[in-house]
Amino acid sequence: VAAVSEPPASSSGLVSVLVDSRCITACVDVVSSLRHRHGVTAHVCSLDGCDFVVSDRMAVERQSQSELAGAQNRKRLVERVTSLQGLFDRVCLIIEKERTKPGEVSRPFQRTRYYDSTLASLVRAGIRLLESAGPDESAALLAELARLEQRKGQAISVPLEVKGLRQQALVFYRTLPCVSYVNALNMAQSFRSVSHLVNSPVEALQKGACLSQARAEEIYRSLRYACDITLMNTSTARKNSL
Amino acid sequence: MEIKPHVLVNAVPPYGHVIANEKWRDSALVQSLKGTGNVKTIFEEELGMVDFHLSNKSCILYVSETDIVAGNNYKRKLVRFRNANSSLQGIVVAEKTRLSEQYFPAMQKFVVIELGLTLLPVASQLEASQLLTQMVHMEGKDNPFRKKSVSRLLDPVVMSLVQQIPGVGKVKAVALLQHYSSVIQLCNAETCELETIVGQATAQSIHNFFQKPFF
Repeated sequence: VAAVSEPPASSSGLVSVLVDSRCITACVDVVSSLRHRHGVTAHVCSLDGCDFVVSDRMAVERQSQSELAGAQNRKRLVERVTSLQGLFDRVCLIIEKERTKPGEVSRPFQRTRYYDSTLASLVRAGIRLLESAGPDESAALLAELARLEQRKGQAISVPLEVKGLRQQALVFYRTLPCVSYVNALNMAQSFRSVSHLVNSPVEALQKGACLSQARAEEIYRSLRYACDITLMNTSTARKNSL
Repeated sequence: MEIKPHVLVNAVPPYGHVIANEKWRDSALVQSLKGTGNVKTIFEEELGMVDFHLSNKSCILYVSETDIVAGNNYKRKLVRFRNANSSLQGIVVAEKTRLSEQYFPAMQKFVVIELGLTLLPVASQLEASQLLTQMVHMEGKDNPFRKKSVSRLLDPVVMSLVQQIPGVGKVKAVALLQHYSSVIQLCNAETCELETIVGQATAQSIHNFFQKPFF
């Protein structure tokens, strides 16, 4: 662990950010900046199709400006953003400027009508947008967001390593609708057994998993849902969300 | 000039229109909205600190290059806006130019992270007009990023939940769900009942999975 020279501003000290293992190669500079410059605990794990999770309810996706400007990436972006909205109350998009290789002249970004309409749609859908000039700035923004969420009492405060029975339970919890990785971690910590969770009322689910009432209701419903096995000829059950 | 703290809350521009603060009348932005954007502008003197009203309860607060460089005035304006209304979505359109870009990270932190408003940088009034045009024209269209609330079938969810129990594969999951249709029923089933369906070892495994405390 790197020594943090300046004392953390908030009372509870370090903040944690989860980083998706699939984006670690692309995000390596962001992660090292998070750890060494911003004193953030960056934990790498397999997330639910988003790059970063900064609190119990906020996911952050990093997108290059040119990707956002190109129509060929639209379908993937729509899929990711809508699936994140199903799992998180707050979704942020960091729009990062293109990196220029040493010796390369940076080309000015050509703003297109398509780019503007994408921005307009994202804003209207309630996605928070942030602009970044590069990995360092993205890391600074992630640290800011994590601290903001901490001030609002939403920081990731659960142990990030789970073992044994909790590990089995975690896999089960992640299969529930509307449950993000962080929610599942909270569940594994808050309930003393799987049965305890299954038999809990909505309010207890909401509190124990750190999620909204609507999501807690959906979980409650799915645990009591009477499955009609005759309808199940193919079991290609995809994780679904609110 | 005194900045009025109130804004016109009930102003809803018709489709294809924006309501603009009177001060924008001869601007390049409004010229371009009319010219290339095909957006009609209605001028209004009583908009207070808001620059443009869009339909769907959102409005634009414009921050020019000069405002950004000068500093505190625009901050006061935004804080007053945020404190004055809750019903309007405030979208801050700010001129991020070669001159103002050094202030941009601090501004973004203030506007987005501290105030919770939306911030969209543009390079000029012309770019702002293009962005506004897209915002106006998208009103009538379907937004792909807006999650449609489709009620999904929970049957596949229950099926895959049961298969997460150690020792339970597809065949045993089907057998179990023929007896216990929901997860909660399965969870609260007696081990001896489970044994008759999936055998002793799996029954014990299911019982342990649900009932064994973590600590």
